[in-house]
Amino acid sequence: MNVITRGIRNAFRNTIRTVSIVTILGLSIGLSLAMLVAHQAVGEKINSVKASVGNTVSISPAGARGFEGGGNALTADQLSKVKSQAHVVSLTESLGDRLTTSDTNLQSAVDAGSLGQRFAQRSGQSMGGPGGGPPALSQDSTSNSGGTTTTFTPPVTVNGTTDPTNLTSSGPGGGGSFTLKSGKVFSSSSTEDVALLGSTLATKNNLKVGSTFTAYNTTITVAGIFDAGNDFSNNQVIMPLAAVQTLSAQPGAITSATAKVDSITNVSSVTSAVKSTLGSATDVTNAADESKNTIAPLENIQTISLYSLIGAVAAGAVIILLTMIMIVRERRREIGVLKAIGAGNGKVVGQFMVEATTLTVLGAFIGIALGVVAGNPITKLLVDNSSNSQTIQGGPGRGGRGFGFVRDNVSSIHAAVGWDIILYGFAAAVLIAVVGSALASFAITKIRPAEVMRTE
Amino acid sequence: MLEVKNLKKSFQSGDATVHAVGGVSFKVLNGQFASIVGTSGSGKSTLLSLLGALDKPTSGSVQVDDRDITSLRDHALTTYRCKSIGFVFQGYNLVPNLTALENVMLPLEFAKLPKAKRVARATELLEQVGFQADQMQRKPGKLSGGQQQRVAIARALANKPKLILADEPTGNLDSQTGKMIFDLLHNLAKSENTTIIAVTHDLSIAGKTDVTFRLQDGKLKER
Ligand SMILES: Nc1ncnc2c1ncn2[C@@H]1O[C@H](COP(=O)(O)OP(=O)(O)OP(=O)(O)O)[C@@H](O)[C@H]1O
Ligand SMILES: [Mg+2]
Repeated sequence: MNVITRGIRNAFRNTIRTVSIVTILGLSIGLSLAMLVAHQAVGEKINSVKASVGNTVSISPAGARGFEGGGNALTADQLSKVKSQAHVVSLTESLGDRLTTSDTNLQSAVDAGSLGQRFAQRSGQSMGGPGGGPPALSQDSTSNSGGTTTTFTPPVTVNGTTDPTNLTSSGPGGGGSFTLKSGKVFSSSSTEDVALLGSTLATKNNLKVGSTFTAYNTTITVAGIFDAGNDFSNNQVIMPLAAVQTLSAQPGAITSATAKVDSITNVSSVTSAVKSTLGSATDVTNAADESKNTIAPLENIQTISLYSLIGAVAAGAVIILLTMIMIVRERRREIGVLKAIGAGNGKVVGQFMVEATTLTVLGAFIGIALGVVAGNPITKLLVDNSSNSQTIQGGPGRGGRGFGFVRDNVSSIHAAVGWDIILYGFAAAVLIAVVGSALASFAITKIRPAEVMRTE
Repeated sequence: MLEVKNLKKSFQSGDATVHAVGGVSFKVLNGQFASIVGTSGSGKSTLLSLLGALDKPTSGSVQVDDRDITSLRDHALTTYRCKSIGFVFQGYNLVPNLTALENVMLPLEFAKLPKAKRVARATELLEQVGFQADQMQRKPGKLSGGQQQRVAIARALANKPKLILADEPTGNLDSQTGKMIFDLLHNLAKSENTTIIAVTHDLSIAGKTDVTFRLQDGKLKER
């Protein structure tokens, strides 16, 4: 028997009280941990969204996005103004075009499918790329049991660019990340008739590095094969900007430009500077602005979880504080006896500290179990609720991403309870116990041993 | 020798000042059995708590073997209570979730005795007050009043104190058990040359002690 064993035994003196205190403490510690888990998981997600957004500003003719919409090509004058903006490190320029069956021997690697058929019927009239690219359709009439049907083949996209490895989603070929499979990448100022082929397009046409194909009635050499990670982007030909401008008879034309900014913190100031310089003739966007829709609800969750964390820890501390004060009041006489028979304040306080710690550590076991089980679902619940309300406000389909973008990002949040969290849990429990029993300890030192002489 | 000089203790309750002990002086020789008698509220318990250093007097001194215990600092006070005093209370005041043996071991632990010696000493003491091995493992709730008071006496004797203070040790017991407890206390004290000061209402007990002090309204009344 010593201070520690007595403290531990005292924690179990009143079974009903012990069970209820431990349960309540367990709930508060569990909630704290779940909130800590949510806070961390969401924080990591925010960082990864921010990191993935990058520090680029996209410039395209007003009303155009990819091949949809209209507008006039960007001019060299406009782009030199962008280049001279403060904080702009470099500018990638590209010219998007589409090959028709009449000017290439390449076969598209994408099936039309029902989506493509519907698209073809709807947009037949005046389909054209921005900057006056040729029509994107190739129509064949086929006889079929007395009727005539029109089949549609999605066109092969040409991306004339000064930076072939940068596949921006606002650029002509669609997004994706560029991975070179074979061959090599041409230089940014190249004027040669060379091309990088998307992997599916190359396979479909049996082309390898060094083979040639025909486009714009010119023989073009395959310099490399790449994978962009999606079928649409892999159905494109990437060529030097100058070559496409010459071959497609659009000298100086640019359909999209991407400015690289020196730091992510300057992205939004550069965006507004470029906007005011170029005026209404161009659309200037950055991914950071679009990602605000994703980040805002996540930041809300972070705030909520932080406050809940503080609240839950405080609740735990208050619970143990009140419990210990109650216990000390209840055992005034016993404390007096211990002092009367030779226990110093330190011994008695130590014994009660051990008792409080025993209660909270038991609570921590329950709390950690709860946190492990509930951390991930609670994070999901918080994220789902707040992202739902957010996407409804933003409306789906904004810039073709909105809904999907937010959902994709948040559904991949994974809240894991690691050893560090468990250690935090125990540390918090001990902290709660020490803080919670501090006041009780003060009360203990004030108890006069002479009180034992007073009969109840 | 225990010498009390002009000891006073007053309490402030509301506006009124209660002079619980109002200038008491007496001497008790080593090994004497002294009794304190007096009506309820006469200040017996207060006097005892001053002798046992459970409380500080308003004025006056308590000298134990020429050492004034009223001027002791916290740490020295704790040591004095632990090693030099043994207390027996009317309400037994055992720790309810400890066994009889563990209760007797408490003051030994506070006196920093090694664990093995504590068990041996506590067992020996409980045997002296008539306990069997299985009774030693019982908690106070499963012992009779007389048995509990015997545990309390064993606990008071644990560190071989020079002075035992007992506040109505038989007050909750029937007269026969009360007599047994008193005899036990008396015999144990005599064999160790321990001084005993006991508060009692029982005049037949008081009559058997070496010296009797009568308290009235906080003052000593000569016989
Ligand atoms: N802590 C205190 N605060 C205020 N008054 C007190 C306090 N302790 C004792 N008293 C008062 O001091 C007086 C003496 O009390 P004490 O307990 O010493 O009497 P007692 O002789 O032991 O009585 P009893 O035989 O009933 O136990 C009483 O009037 C009591 O009300
Ligand atoms: Mg009394």
